[in-house]
Amino acid sequence: MHRKSMLLSLVAVVLVVMVAFPALAQKTYPDGKILIYSTGQPHFRESFYQPSIHRFAPNVDVETVQIETMHAGVQKIAMDNLAGAYKDMPDVIMLDAVGIMNLVDAGLLLDMTDYWTPIADQFVQGAVLDATIDGRVWALPDAVRPQLLFYNAAIFEEYDIDPAMMATFDGYLEAGRLLKERSNGEVYLSYIDPTTYTWRYWGRRGLMPQANARIWDEKGNVVIGQDEGTKLALGFLDQLHSEGLLYRTTMMQPPLYEATDQGKIATFYIGAFWDEFLRKNLTKTVGDWRVMNAPVFEEGGTGGAPVSTYFCVVDKGDDTYVDLFLDMWYDFSTNIEERNAWVNEMERLNGPYSNPVSLDVLADPFWQEPSAFYGGQSFRKAEADGLANPSPNMTVTPQDNEADGIISAEIEKYVAGEQTMEQAIANMDKELKLRIGRADMP
Amino acid sequence: MWQTLKRHRYPYLFISPYLILFLVFQLVPTIATVYYSFTEWNGLRAPRWIGWRNYQLMMNDYMFSDAIRNTFRYWIVGAIGIMGLSLLIAMLLNSKVLRAKQFFRTATFLPYVCASVAMGLIFRMLFEEHAGLINEILLSLGGSRIPWLTSSAYAWIPVVILFVWRLTPWFTMIIFSGLLNISDEYYEAATVDGASGWQQFVRITLPLLNHILFFCFVTITVDAWRLFNESHILSGPGTSNTSLFELMYTSAFKNFKLGYGSALGVVLILILLGISLVQFMVRRRTGEI
Repeated sequence: MHRKSMLLSLVAVVLVVMVAFPALAQKTYPDGKILIYSTGQPHFRESFYQPSIHRFAPNVDVETVQIETMHAGVQKIAMDNLAGAYKDMPDVIMLDAVGIMNLVDAGLLLDMTDYWTPIADQFVQGAVLDATIDGRVWALPDAVRPQLLFYNAAIFEEYDIDPAMMATFDGYLEAGRLLKERSNGEVYLSYIDPTTYTWRYWGRRGLMPQANARIWDEKGNVVIGQDEGTKLALGFLDQLHSEGLLYRTTMMQPPLYEATDQGKIATFYIGAFWDEFLRKNLTKTVGDWRVMNAPVFEEGGTGGAPVSTYFCVVDKGDDTYVDLFLDMWYDFSTNIEERNAWVNEMERLNGPYSNPVSLDVLADPFWQEPSAFYGGQSFRKAEADGLANPSPNMTVTPQDNEADGIISAEIEKYVAGEQTMEQAIANMDKELKLRIGRADMP
Repeated sequence: MWQTLKRHRYPYLFISPYLILFLVFQLVPTIATVYYSFTEWNGLRAPRWIGWRNYQLMMNDYMFSDAIRNTFRYWIVGAIGIMGLSLLIAMLLNSKVLRAKQFFRTATFLPYVCASVAMGLIFRMLFEEHAGLINEILLSLGGSRIPWLTSSAYAWIPVVILFVWRLTPWFTMIIFSGLLNISDEYYEAATVDGASGWQQFVRITLPLLNHILFFCFVTITVDAWRLFNESHILSGPGTSNTSLFELMYTSAFKNFKLGYGSALGVVLILILLGISLVQFMVRRRTGEI
């Protein structure tokens, strides 16, 4: 009897302590590390994650591994899976819609629906749109970034051109013509890349969704050759290029930044991620740059498709750190004080950061603060404003990766001057039909 | 068979490490590649048998014909360039008039120890259309800018230059070692007989280097058909300078069409086998082997 009452007293004490001091009830984890694959420069993110994870589990570290592309990450996981090297797989990987689709198809991602549903209201609308397949949520949002128009205000002032005219693509074209005329051909409206970036940034993520262009129809048949949206989107690019308004140089390479700093390139119609590259690589035009919403094709047109990136938890048969990662992700997404401090540090280091997906964090005045690089304009606010009138993203299929290679090859030959845009579109259609035939529609 | 194995158990025991590795890492994957070439497989789901469809697609695929044309070009131009330059440099290194031979030998070998990817990135800068050093030199000589990497007509040239530049040192060393084995007495006797330098080169040097040059040619052939880094980093428009090996990689690991990639691998194996057979038949006919 005495022993029984002692035991009951002990249990009661433990329960009281756990209620009074919830921290003591915190889950404990074995020593180890969470391995995260990410594109970009994940070591910057690690500087947030490391102290964050130590608040939840002091004995667990975060290791980030940079992957060249999200597709390269999917490839590594697929190869590890094929070899049965499950322990070599990352715990978490940053992916886009195509990558998510591929890994869900292979049964290599954990279903996040039960975790996400109760907290969905705390985040921006549509945050997991591209990560939802057959009603199940397979990833947690990291960023939703809009298409924007970056422009060098000093150039527009010098040539007496009102940047507001670039609200539409007609105005954008006209601005390019005026720049060319008034600078005697010295200043280009923008750039064109001879490699895959033209399709990626001008096409798939830029003009194509804004023109409601399609590669596939609802049944997955190739329609790019007959699609009016494609003709509008790529036709506009053709017009810019054929009128000599685009400076031909490779993206992300020193000659592009040099030409930009020399005032040869006036605008960039591209995703918000470009902010980081401008800040990091331009030195002579700091303070001259401004940002506005992407032009639209006509009055009432949509302003560019946002690019969403997600963190996916890999199903490697070992869920030791899954809850810990979820705590860490939530902390990064919703901890206003820590997040703002980290963003300040990123600005100081010219590191990458994006607007938060949490509504509470986004409402903080910090996200309206002016940016020195943009001459006092708030880039963060501009990024948030850019999401206001989004174009729907192009339908994504598991075949899109191969399709991108086929389409890009034709665009590259067009940029090289070896075929017209009409021929390029016809060849895309022919090659897609030959090599893929029909896509598996989601 | 067991009796033979038992009788020669020690020789077989000694070669068994290589044999096991060969079986596990070369023979079995090669046989598996042939099997997968008849399937549709994305590496994530189970392969599906589709018969000859991958090979049929190959016949209609312009990317495949581009890759074959490019690789053939890299092979021929590369072999001529590498062997010609290697022979020339090796003879210079072997020349009696050259001073500081040790320095030049080391300097000659340096490109080979540089990582090809790093060199590819440097070559990309050198051949850049607007700011590259090559075009700046051409301009200063009164020429015009050439879109080296942005035109299908020129895109193969930087690739082959990098290929030649990277491999020449290695083959220079091989040929140089061959030259060291040629006795000076041959040249002294020829000089006494009044043979010119060219005659000595054609009648003495080349015949005595024959086996080494053949080895170099076979090795360069294999290297050319396996060329990847150079064309991958110095990529031109579309598949204008894509090598067969790079196309195989792209198909298999970028597009996840492992079946089609395997079919390309099988074709590559057959091409190399065919070239090797022709080379050895020619050598046998001329009585060299």
